Amino acid sequence: MAEVPMATPERVVLHNVSKSFGPTAALRGVTLTGRAGSIHALTGENGAGKSTLMKLLAGVHEPDDGEIHLRGKAVRLSTPAQARQAGVSTVFQELTVLPNLTVAENLNLGREPGRLGTLDRAAARRRAGEVLARTGVALDPDRLCGDLTVGEQQLLEIAKGLAAEADVFIFDEPTAPLNRAEVDQLEQLLVRLKTEGKLVFYISHRLEEIFRFCDTVTVLKDGRLVGTERIGALTPDRLVTLMVGRELQALFPERPGAAPGEVRLEVRELVATTGSPPVSITLRRGEIVGIAGLEGQGQRELVRALAGAGQPAGGTVRVTGDDGVVSPMDTRHGTVGAVRQGVALIPEDRKAEGLCLDLPIQDNIWLGPLRGLALWRRARRDPVVIRQLGERMKLRSRPVDAVGSLSGGNQQKVMFGRWLAAGVRVLLVEQPTRGVDVGAKAEIYTLLRQFTEDGGVVLAVSGDLPELIGLCDRILVLRGGAIVADVPGAGATEEGLLALALRDPSGVSA
Amino acid sequence: MTPARTGLTRYTVGLPLLIALLLALSAADFRQPQNLLNFGGQVAALLIASLGQMCVTLVAGIDLSVGAVMSLASGLLVLQSDPVLAVAMALAMGAAVGVVNGLGVAVAGVHPLVMTLSTATFLQGLCHMVLPMPGGQVPPPLVAAANGDAAGVPLSFVWCAAAVVALGALTTRTRFGLHLFAVGSQPRSAYLNGVRVRAVTVTAYVLCSVMASVAGIFLAARVATGDPNLGTSFPLETVAAVALGGVQLTGGVGSVAGVVAGTLSLGLLTNGLNVFGISPFLRGVLTGALLLAAVSVQRRRHVGL
Repeated sequence: MAEVPMATPERVVLHNVSKSFGPTAALRGVTLTGRAGSIHALTGENGAGKSTLMKLLAGVHEPDDGEIHLRGKAVRLSTPAQARQAGVSTVFQELTVLPNLTVAENLNLGREPGRLGTLDRAAARRRAGEVLARTGVALDPDRLCGDLTVGEQQLLEIAKGLAAEADVFIFDEPTAPLNRAEVDQLEQLLVRLKTEGKLVFYISHRLEEIFRFCDTVTVLKDGRLVGTERIGALTPDRLVTLMVGRELQALFPERPGAAPGEVRLEVRELVATTGSPPVSITLRRGEIVGIAGLEGQGQRELVRALAGAGQPAGGTVRVTGDDGVVSPMDTRHGTVGAVRQGVALIPEDRKAEGLCLDLPIQDNIWLGPLRGLALWRRARRDPVVIRQLGERMKLRSRPVDAVGSLSGGNQQKVMFGRWLAAGVRVLLVEQPTRGVDVGAKAEIYTLLRQFTEDGGVVLAVSGDLPELIGLCDRILVLRGGAIVADVPGAGATEEGLLALALRDPSGVSA
Repeated sequence: MTPARTGLTRYTVGLPLLIALLLALSAADFRQPQNLLNFGGQVAALLIASLGQMCVTLVAGIDLSVGAVMSLASGLLVLQSDPVLAVAMALAMGAAVGVVNGLGVAVAGVHPLVMTLSTATFLQGLCHMVLPMPGGQVPPPLVAAANGDAAGVPLSFVWCAAAVVALGALTTRTRFGLHLFAVGSQPRSAYLNGVRVRAVTVTAYVLCSVMASVAGIFLAARVATGDPNLGTSFPLETVAAVALGGVQLTGGVGSVAGVVAGTLSLGLLTNGLNVFGISPFLRGVLTGALLLAAVSVQRRRHVGL
């Protein structure tokens, strides 16, 4: 163990740091040591606290407890500007490129050259040109960033992070929208930083990347430190065990033995947005169908079109009610029309698009069943309904508590309860367990399965492949807006789905 | 400066030219040098105040207290016989109002409409206590500075030019100017990139109020007397001028050139109504209609949002 990396100095020490957001503990007593001249991977499941941990170092959040040491000195990093001055450069997971600024202006933002508050635009362009050349990003410095594609913006983010005069670099899942060649390019840049004696924190859950160019890996789970290991002492299987640390299957309810029933929702040649390929799907009673694919392959548009929240350019959708009557879905009436026909959406961003955070649980649930009621009618609200729903969903809060005070999992249950109470038969769920802790995940999976056992249908979009594999009866793979595969959930593998999601007929990986 | 960030289109630039052309062709009185001189004096205050309003609009704010600041500045001016002290008092008042507005919006998180409407009401009340009726005497040197001319050039033009050059340089040649655009476009992204969002926002409000105070001093000096209702029409008019000039009220897009064009459009309209002897009430009708038109053509088409 007493090899070279141990000899390099400790550049960053996060000592016993904790951070909570409201009632949710994001980090609990995590200690992390980063050494100069190394690429240090951080990994773990979604919601494990990787990003939060790095945001402490980036000055976005301050720890509730614990200390941050930079080059041996305790520091307080209260703003991103301070962190940057202290020599920490961060590429955040969210894109922070400003659309009304040019490439050069974005690259220099927050550290513009010029004296006494003036702007030396020639110097800024020159510096931008150098950075772009050094990082191999072929962008015109004078282009307006609003015109860039998401991939180009991500490359710009990376270039911006690399341009900083820093000795600690943080990359938070930088490769998600990048293609293979771009990932290779990034790897070279990271290795160069390492040889220059810098410390690179690299958040990723792509094992392949971690094993290819990282030296050390720290695994987090549910906000706790699982361990820090040298890559050389690990195998991919061992790393996965550290990340998961539990039997995956135990999370998911058993699939029903019986074949699915009659058709509940029939989608024919639906063009979700102008220019996207037509999509046909048949959902049968009792089915949970998943939609897999890389980010931004038309999942959102498809689901939104079905929920009445989009404007499909063509195609038909037919819904079969409990009474067996088939009715075409009227997309002109938006979400109101969809819900009336028993089709409802649980959106990805439930705080902004789903819940009224200041209202109590009961009112949020009543929004569903009371929808159809004329405005002048008295809205009867039977507390028994809410109590029964709460028991069924294992909601451990009082019905009068504001939804904003709940954890992610309980918020998701409230969303679910709203549509259960409204008697919805087709649930479209985006990212069913995003921001939900592990315990509540299992409960939500069980609820979804119960819902389908009672004759409902679930169409779930998720970026979490193990979730789709464990939960769904069938998995549709979307690429470029089209369904490229329909595989049974039992027996599907992450590798197989990923290959289907990635493969491009032209031979170039997307 | 890229065209997409300035908000300049052929409409923003073309509108004042079109109005000027129509007036020049149809009304002989419009072409009189005396009228053009009057016109310069009329729009100078609006231009100065609108340039201030632009700073706030760029960070996606709005300042409805500019009118009250102008009125109070005129009130302070007639209280004080020493011109330097009078101007210093008015400017300090403007700066203080800007700090309060800015802190309210950027730190306390009050909506800009509510925040500036509150300060506007407060200041208007204060103004009526200081100066219940139009009257008083503005120190003569200030009157001369607003109405005189230097080497044949009316001083009102000089003040306008100074304001345009100063704000132009500020928005395009300084870090602060760039940060105005950054904050207005996406405050969170700007913050993550090390822009001091709160400081930029507060400074924008301070600039706006100081410019309003300058506009008030100028207007009071032109008529040589104080008026507690001097700036009453200005909150709406500055917003209209800014919107007509292609500044996006949602922030992040705009330019000094656009504000000049927007101010000229409004000013020419007023002047044209005067020349033709049309009811001044119609001016309000037209300003409202123009504001609505300008805002409705504003979509976030320039910036890929």
